[in-house]
Parts: sequence; C-alpha cells; structure tokens
Amino acid sequence: MLSFFLRNLDMKKEFIGKIEQIEKISSDAFKMVILSDLQSVKCGQFISILCENKTLRRPFSIADFEKEANQSLTTILFKIKGQATNYLKSLKIGDSVDFLAPLGNGFEIDNKKALLIGAGIGIAPMLFLKKELNKRNIENYLITGFKSRQEVIKGSDRTIIGGTVLDYIEEEIKNQKPQTVYCCAPTVVLKGVDNITRKHNLKTYLALEKVMACSIGVCRGCVIKLIKDKKIANYSVCKDGPVFLGGEIIWE
Amino acid sequence: MGIENLKTTLKNEKTGNSLILKTPLIGASGTWGYNVEYQDYVDYKYLGAISTKGITLEERLGNVGERIFEVFGGLINRIGLENVGIEAFISDKLPILKENNIDFLLNIAGNTIEDYEKLALIAQTNNIKALEVNVSCPNVKKGCLEFGLNPESLYFLISKIRKVYEGFLIIKLSPNTQDIKSLATAVESAGADCISAINTLRGLGVKIDYINNKFYKKTVQGGLSGTCIKPVALYMVNQISSAVKIPVMAIGGISKLSDLFEFMAVGASAFQIGTANFSNPSVIEDLAIELSEFMQKNNYKTFDDLKKDIKNG
Ligand SMILES: Cc1cc2nc3c(=O)[nH]c(=O)nc-3n(C[C@H](O)[C@H](O)[C@H](O)COP(=O)(O)OP(=O)(O)OC[C@H]3O[C@@H](n4cnc5c(N)ncnc54)[C@H](O)[C@@H]3O)c2cc1C
Ligand SMILES: Cc1cc2nc3c(=O)[nH]c(=O)nc-3n(C[C@H](O)[C@H](O)[C@H](O)COP(=O)(O)O)c2cc1C
Ligand code: FES
Repeated sequence: MLSFFLRNLDMKKEFIGKIEQIEKISSDAFKMVILSDLQSVKCGQFISILCENKTLRRPFSIADFEKEANQSLTTILFKIKGQATNYLKSLKIGDSVDFLAPLGNGFEIDNKKALLIGAGIGIAPMLFLKKELNKRNIENYLITGFKSRQEVIKGSDRTIIGGTVLDYIEEEIKNQKPQTVYCCAPTVVLKGVDNITRKHNLKTYLALEKVMACSIGVCRGCVIKLIKDKKIANYSVCKDGPVFLGGEIIWE
Repeated sequence: MGIENLKTTLKNEKTGNSLILKTPLIGASGTWGYNVEYQDYVDYKYLGAISTKGITLEERLGNVGERIFEVFGGLINRIGLENVGIEAFISDKLPILKENNIDFLLNIAGNTIEDYEKLALIAQTNNIKALEVNVSCPNVKKGCLEFGLNPESLYFLISKIRKVYEGFLIIKLSPNTQDIKSLATAVESAGADCISAINTLRGLGVKIDYINNKFYKKTVQGGLSGTCIKPVALYMVNQISSAVKIPVMAIGGISKLSDLFEFMAVGASAFQIGTANFSNPSVIEDLAIELSEFMQKNNYKTFDDLKKDIKNG
C-alpha cells in the first residue's frame, strides 16, 4: 500500500478559509459564510473551527454549501454561548478561519416524504437538508421551535415560539404523514422525538451533540452507546455520527 | 532536502537495546488512535512513531458521562482507557500498521502484574519492537497508578515484564508523585530501556452556571494535559534525566519548536505530542519540517549534534 504515503491532496481535510459574509440573524445567532477549497460535503456533516485561545476546536453544522468555480462557500449558523462563539462573532469579512471538514457521517437521504425537526440553533443542518430535499423533489416539512420571537431563525414551514416543539410532533406526523423523520436539537428534544417516532415506527435520523476534542474518532471523548443487533458498543459522535438512527441510541 | 537529518537512535547503553526513529516526534498515546487515523492530516513520513491508545487484556468501554472538560491552556480527560483489547489489536489494528510501515510503540495498561506480564508476552510473541508501559493512568479506579507511584512495586512490575519482553521497553511515568527520581531509578535498575514522561496530571474541572437565581454545578475529574502542564513536564524530565542514563522521551504540552528545544535542554531525546494534535492535527508534520529546516539553516548535520549543543548551552 505504498500509495498511502503519496498523500492525496484532494483528501486534505484542513482548510484555511476566508470569511465572505458574517451577519446577525437573530438576537443571539450569527451566520458566517466561508470561502475555501473544500470540495464537497453532505447534509448533516459539520466543520470544526480553531478558535483563539482555545485548546479545543469547535464543531458547527453545515447550514449551506455552494460550489464556486474551484472553490466553495460553506455557511454555518452559530449561537453565542461562550468564548469561542464570541470570538467567531468578533471576526470580520476577509478574516481567515482554520477549519477541518467535512466531518462526520451526515444524513442518509431516502426518497420519501420527510418531517424535519429543529430546536433552536438545531435548525442549521435542517435548512441545508431542506434545500437538498427540495432540489431532489422530495416532499418535506420543517418544524422548528424557539424560546422567544427574538431568537427565531427564518426558513421553516412552521415555527413554534415558546414551549417545546415536542408538543407538536404527534400533530405534524398526523398532518404530514412523513415516512422519514430528521431532527437536530438539544438532547431532551432528541430523546422525546426518538420516543414518539418509535411508537409510529418511523425511520428517524437524529443529529447529536457531544463535547469533542479530536473530532476524528481517536480520542474517544465524544462517544455514546448504541444497541445494534442486541450488542451494546461505543460510537463516536464525531466520526460515526453525528447522525444516528432512532431506536438505537442508549440515552445516558 | 528531506528530513533525513531528523533520524535518531535511542539506546540503552547497558543492554545495547535500541530504537531507531525516523524523526524524534511521536504521537502520544490516546491522542493518535491505533494506526492510520491521521492520514487526512499528516504525511506519516514525518512521524517517528505512534504510541497506540493504551491497550488492556480485555476490551474496555471506558467511563460513562462527560469525558472531556476544557480548561485554559489544556483539557481534562476521563476517557477511562476505552480500547479494543489486545486480541482485536493484534488481529485488526496491527496488520494495518505493518502494511503501511508505521513504526509504533504498543502502549499497555493493566490492573494486575499478571495483566502486564500477559500483555508483554503477547508483544514478545508478535515481535513488537517497542513497548510503552503505562503505569500512570489517573483515570481508572484500580491498577496502573498504584504500581506507578511506589519504587518497590514499580521495580517488581518492570522486572517481571523484562523477563518476558526482549524488545525496547519504555516505562511511562506519572507526574502525580513526590519523588520522581526514585521512580526513575527503580525503572532503570529493573532493566527498562527508556522512560517517557509525563502522563496527565490529576485535575478537577468545575463549571458553575447561574440561571434564574439558581446555581448549577458541573465537575469533571480526570487527567490534565496540554500546554498548561509543560512546566511540570519540564521539571519532571529534568529530574528524571539527571537521575538515570537511559534515554528520556518528553511528553507534556509540546506544541511548538521552542518547546522541543526546551525539553532537549533538560535532557530529552525524543518527544511525544498529545493534546496539541487536537487543535492542529498536522502539528507533528509542521514540527518535523520546522526542526529539520532549523538544523539545515544552522548547519546541524544530525539531531544528536543539535541535542548536544542545546544541552550544553
Ligand atoms: C456536531 C455538532 C454540531 C454543532 N453545530 C452547531 C451549529 O450549527 N451552531 C451552533 O451554534 N452550535 C453548534 N454546536 C455547538 C457548538 O459547538 C457549541 O455551542 C460551541 O462549541 C460553544 O463554544 P463556546 O466556547 O462559545 O462556549 P462554551 O462556554 O465553551 O461551551 C458552551 C457549551 O458548548 C458545548 N461545547 C463546548 N466545547 C465544545 C466542543 N469542543 N465540542 C462540542 N461542543 C462543545 C458544550 O455543550 C458547552 O456546555 C454543534 C456541536 C456539535 C457537537
Ligand atoms: C484524550 C487523552 C487520552 C489519553 N489516553 C492515554 C492512554 O491511553 N495511555 C497513556 O499512556 N496516556 C494517555 N494519555 C496521556 C497522553 O499520552 C500524554 O501523556 C498527556 O496527554 C500529556 O501530553 P500532552 O500535554 O501533549 O497531551 C491520554 C491523553 C489524552 C488527552
Ligand atoms: S472527539 Fe475524539 S473521538 Fe470524537
């Protein structure tokens, strides 16, 4: 396997991109568009950004991706949390961003009517997925939930403000009659969706979050337990995930 | 020009045992996986070796709950030695290392002396050239740390391993001790060929959130690593290299060229890089190129020449 040593440059996964656009999209979230040599991505994959004074890179879902000649534009949406996201917020158009991509497995796309669920910033990968489903003429419906009107990020078919989006899932399953469900949200919502869709026997893809160190599957810092064929084993959210099948996750 | 000038040999003068490294830069255990995981980021020709994830006799799933806690200049981990176990390592991981000609140190950990003996015997049987014995993992309830903190038990353990394993034997020491010199001396007299140090320091991460007039506390106890532990590592490597003649591999917070120089100044013969890979996955390649270029520019033909000059500087 000598070819292994001739590192294929197309395979390179570390990029220095340039910020093309950065703007506020809600009371506490921003959109950042990065121009880079990244060649292709899948919906549900993420990038991992090096942030000033941080030992650990920070993962962000890909919210949009467009090829531009030999280069591409990658969009992320980020919510202000702590130091890293405040650092990202401080960046300006033209600043460079060091990121690893594309990371993770991404969503499987079935040719079936889909219900998309996002809570808070979990809308980010759903917007990308929705665009892709539309492109492929796959019927879909995106429902999202936000804590307040100020926090709403646009792009959904239905937006729930206050309360929890979980309370509306049964209703939308009845209305939309989806065959596949996708969800990105905090753990409580993911868990709730997992319970509901299991009852309805719906194929469900859940995008999880865990604190990551290496983001390539080696450190085992981000593992969760899955049960497959009655066997329990560890899977990394960064490499085996972040998307897992409903019904297989053992919630901590 | 290439990086041939980085080639170096670690040698135990007493036994004649040696380890040839293409470069003195090694991926530290637990941060480099088992074999080719970094191939999208690093050209492996720049890598002296990989130290594998710590391998135990049986497969382990590791700790439940949060495993990573970031702190300023580093992180606390409590992975708990999640690994595939020696059997799967030999059958699934080793062939890939061989196929790709990747030099490696098999890093092992156990609960009992018998565990270590069995693992060492398997390494011997499989003709594994270098063994790194973790006697210093702070993240598991019993086992390795207990051996690693007492000179007598450490001597006993290493003598047992030495009896069954003939290859290059490296002992990885814990910094969580009052007396690193006695540990190092015990390691040397028990017949080990090399000492690597340091493993992670014991640490506690605490996060307090104040939400709706209420405090929420989160704590993560585990091993501290990263740039913040470098001064401790420098101290330990200095102590160790002044106490023993066998070569010392420096570990702890290494991320840039000046770090390599600093560790050489206190007696290090090679370097392991851990946490720095997480922020810069090509750090080892970058360091190899920078080190090699520095040597060419300043007329150092060999790494050993450079080491000598820095040490005497
Ligand atoms: C696969 C994945 C996709 C994500 N996609 C998005 C996204 O599209 N938009 C968005 O706003 N956020 C996303 N996140 C969460 C985002 O990574 C965190 O909000 C961010 O790391 C916070 O960093 P901070 O320094 O600002 O805050 P901190 O104060 O450091 O942390 C706040 C919280 O962020 C999380 N976090 C911290 N460090 C890490 C880390 N190294 N890895 C993962 N999570 C961490 C923890 O839950 C922590 O409690 C995603 C996380 C994962 C795992
Ligand atoms: C996530 C993680 C996992 C580790 N796992 C092991 C291990 O299995 N065996 C071992 O000997 N050391 C392990 N270590 C310790 C490192 O090999 C190294 O000694 C330590 O991190 C200090 O170096 P650094 O500051 O460059 O990271 C681990 C460290 C980290 C951060
Ligand atoms: S972050 Fe290291 S295994 Fe996922």
